[in-house]
Amino acid sequence: MKKKTIVSGGSKLEMFSLLGPTSLWILFFVVLPILMFVVYSFWVVRNQMIVREFSFKNYIRFFTNPMYPTLLLRSLVIAFGVTGTTLVFGYPLALKIYRSKGRAKAILYMLILIPLMTSYIVRIYTMRLVLGSNGVLNNLLMVVGLIDEPLQIFLFNRFAIFLTLCVILSPFMVMPVFTSLEKIPKSYIEAAHDLGSSELQTFWRVIFPNSLPGVIAGSMFIFVLSLGDFLTPILVGGKQGTTLSKVIQVNFGFAYDWPLGAALSVILLSISMTVILVSNRFGALREV
Amino acid sequence: MEQILRIENLTKRFDTVEAVKSVSLSIYHGEFLAILGPSGSGKTTILRMIAGFEKPDSGRIIFDGQDIANVPVNKRPFNTVFQDYAVFPNMNVAKNIGYGLSIRKVNRREIDERVEEALEMVALSGYGGRYPDQLSGGQRQRVALARALILRPKLLLLDEPLGALDLALRKQMQITLKQIQEKVGITFVHVTHDQEEGLSISDRVAIVHQGVLQQVDNPRKVYFEPNNCFTAGFMGENNMIEGTIQAMDPSGVVLDTELGEIRSQYCLCCKELGVGEPAVVVVRPENIMVGSAAADAVNQFSAVVRRRVFTGSEEKMLISTEQAPERELMIKLHYLAIAHDQDAVTLKHLEEVRIGWNPESCWIVPLEENGAQA
Repeated sequence: MKKKTIVSGGSKLEMFSLLGPTSLWILFFVVLPILMFVVYSFWVVRNQMIVREFSFKNYIRFFTNPMYPTLLLRSLVIAFGVTGTTLVFGYPLALKIYRSKGRAKAILYMLILIPLMTSYIVRIYTMRLVLGSNGVLNNLLMVVGLIDEPLQIFLFNRFAIFLTLCVILSPFMVMPVFTSLEKIPKSYIEAAHDLGSSELQTFWRVIFPNSLPGVIAGSMFIFVLSLGDFLTPILVGGKQGTTLSKVIQVNFGFAYDWPLGAALSVILLSISMTVILVSNRFGALREV
Repeated sequence: MEQILRIENLTKRFDTVEAVKSVSLSIYHGEFLAILGPSGSGKTTILRMIAGFEKPDSGRIIFDGQDIANVPVNKRPFNTVFQDYAVFPNMNVAKNIGYGLSIRKVNRREIDERVEEALEMVALSGYGGRYPDQLSGGQRQRVALARALILRPKLLLLDEPLGALDLALRKQMQITLKQIQEKVGITFVHVTHDQEEGLSISDRVAIVHQGVLQQVDNPRKVYFEPNNCFTAGFMGENNMIEGTIQAMDPSGVVLDTELGEIRSQYCLCCKELGVGEPAVVVVRPENIMVGSAAADAVNQFSAVVRRRVFTGSEEKMLISTEQAPERELMIKLHYLAIAHDQDAVTLKHLEEVRIGWNPESCWIVPLEENGAQA
C-alpha cells in the first residue's frame, strides 16, 4: 500500500483546514511575540530611543556587569527553594487527598482549587496581611506573648518572596501529584501487599516511583512560575528582594530599555524552556 | 485428598447488595479449582476474601487449622495473579519477579537464581532486563504468574487472568497454566466467567450464582450431570422451552409446551414443583438429533431449517418446528457427524426435517431459576 492512502483520502487542503486555525493561533500568540523579543534583544537604545541596529551589547552587559548574574542566581535560588518546599509539603497533602474517600476527598480537593479562582494579586496581598506589622502573624505572636511589639522582619525581604510564592503556587504541585497518584491502578497496591510488603514498603517501592511524573510536572510548573514571577518581588520583596524578573519589568516599565529587558527575558526564557523540555522527556506533560 | 483450605459460611455485603451468601467450600491440596459464574455472581469477591483484600462480614477461612479471616494480606501465604496483571511499570521484569523475595530480605544471589528459574518456567529467559511496556499482554501475564509462584505460595489465586488476552493466546495460556500447575504442584484457585476455560483447565469446578455456591464437582459431572437447576441452565449454550408440568412420576416429567409434550428424565429443584406449575425444559444443542437419527427419539418434532452457520469444527443450525414457527431452536452438529450423515449434509434452507431428543438428554428446571434468565 502506498503511504498516501494511509491519510485516508484526506487532501492536503482538508488537513490544512483542520490544523490551520490552531497553527495560526500558536503562530500569532506564541511564536511571533517570542520572535519579537529575540529581535528586540539585539537592538540598542540611544537618547531614549530604540535604534534598530544589530548588536550583542545587551547580552554583553548581562555577562560583564556582575549585578545581572547575581540577580539571576538569586532568582534561581528562590525558584529552587520554592520548588523543594512545595514538594516537601505538597506531596503529603496530595497523598492525604488521594487517600480520603467520598465527600472528604471532594472537599479537600476543592480547598486546593478555590485559591486558584481568586485573583493572583489578591493572593499576594493576602500574604501581606499575614506577614505585615499589623498582620495576623504579629498579632498572634503578641497574643501568645512571645513579642511585645510588632516585628518588621517578616515582610519586604527575600524570605517574604519565598514564603509568598510557596503559598500561592502550592496548588500547582498538589494537583499534578494528586492526578498521578489517582492514575496508579489499585491493583498495583494490592499486588504489592499481596507479595508481602508493608504499607511503608508499598509506598516507597510502588506508589512513590509511579507518582514521579506528577512530581516532575509539579516541580516544573513551580520552578518556571516562580522564576518568571515579578509581582511577588514588587509587592512583598522590598529593597533586598530584587530578582531578575523584577529588573526585566523595570526595564520595560520605567527605564524604557526594551532591548535590555528583552535580552534578559530571552535568557530567563531559555532557562525555563530547558526545564520544560527536560521534564517533558520524563513524561511530565502527559500527567496534566 | 488432603484439605488445604476450608471456607465456612462466608458472607459479604456491599452496601445493600449481598455479594456472597454463606458460601462453604473445601479446597484440596494440589488441585486446580475453577470458580465459575456469570459476572456479578460474587466469584471474585470469594477469591478476594481468600486473598485478604476483603474482610468477610461473617464466616471463617480456615487454613492450617486456624481462622485467618482477619489476617492481613501481606501475612497470608497465598499469592494472586490479577486480571490486569499489575506488573509494576517502574521495575524491570527481573525486579518484578524478585519483588516478594527482596521484601522478605532474601540475599541477592538467591534472588537472582530463583528469578532465573522462574523466568525459565514461564518461558521468558533473557527477558529479565526488559520493562513491562516492552512486553506483550501475554508476556506480562507470565511475569505476573512468575512473580507470584516464585514465593512458593500454599495457594495461587488467579482472578480472571486470561480475560484480557485474545482468543488464540487465551487457549494457549490455558494449556500453559495447566502445565505449570502440574509441574509446581501448587494449589490453584482460578476465577473465570468463561465456561470452556473453567471446564478445560480445572480438576473441579465450583459454580457460583447470585452469591450462592450452586454445585462443586469435576468438569464432566458439572456439564453432564448438573444436580442443580442453575447449573443445568448455565452450562452449555442451551435451548430453553417454557411450559407447564403435565405429569410427574419416578421415571420422569412431562412438560406441556408450545411444541407439544416433552418428556424428561430429570427434574432439578422439582421438590417445590407440582403438576400444573410452570417450568422450563433445557436442551443442549448437541443433544438434538437430526434426520434418520431422530427416528427413534422420544421427543420428536417435524421442523424446517431456518439457517445454517458453519463455524469450522462444527455447524450450527437454527430450526423451527411446525407447532411453534416463531421459536428457533439451535442444533450443533460436529463435523464428523455431518460427514457421516447424508441427511445433515444435504439439508437446505427451509427444508423439512425430523428432529428429536431423548428424555435422558434434557432437564426440567423451575421457570425462575434457569441460568439464561438470571
